[in-house]
Amino acid sequence: MGRHDAAVHRFLASLNASPDEAEDALQECFVGAWRGAATYRGGESARGWLFAIARNALRRHHRRRVGEPEDLVSLEELGERAGWGTTDDALGSIEARETLMWVLDQLGEEEREVIVLRDVEGFSGEETADILGLGVAAMKSRLHRARLRLMAALRERERRDHA
Amino acid sequence: MPDLNRVVAGLSCRDVLKVLSEYVDGELPAETVARVRAHLQECDHCERFGGTFGSLVSRLRGGATAAGDLDPDARRKLAERMRAEWMREGRE
Repeated sequence: MGRHDAAVHRFLASLNASPDEAEDALQECFVGAWRGAATYRGGESARGWLFAIARNALRRHHRRRVGEPEDLVSLEELGERAGWGTTDDALGSIEARETLMWVLDQLGEEEREVIVLRDVEGFSGEETADILGLGVAAMKSRLHRARLRLMAALRERERRDHA
Repeated sequence: MPDLNRVVAGLSCRDVLKVLSEYVDGELPAETVARVRAHLQECDHCERFGGTFGSLVSRLRGGATAAGDLDPDARRKLAERMRAEWMREGRE
């Protein structure tokens, strides 16, 4: 438990859970894992299994926003928003932890969770896809768009800070 | 704005933009990696953009956003809940 509780809690908090929701979902996750230990398939990562239980537990508390617009922005437009084709200096704020956390918070839930799982928590592509209930190709597409959006949000933040 | 359809070293900038995450994650076949590298060497726009993109991913992976340990109060409540669950199971 001690090996994973902080990471699971961090993941839950990154999904817009209030502190109370994150604590409740954390408890439900470990209780659910305890009760469901017999259903654990030994081949998969135990850590990934816990993250998937936690994600489902939070979803019961924190219903997905309905009517959220589909992502219709093309990859090319996302790339340009993220700075492709500009001659600006590299993003200095990448180094600033507070800024990076703030910008990550500005992303939609689906974008934030794929970045947190794959990049921050270091799950493999297959594990991340399993936790999210996606195929690997769909996960990769979501991850790429999410990273571009994060980069675009950083640029936007820098532009505002320097205005 | 420069043209994303511009072809350099056999790949368009659009093609490179599309595979940048897989390139950074080391998930492309060797032949495609070589083509992307050749494009990046000759295309300033993609080289600059790809460098920043790669730095961002490295920064995320380097623990830039990782917080510390679990709050002691949350850990205590979790332990209490698990103990209660264990006791309940034992009674059943």
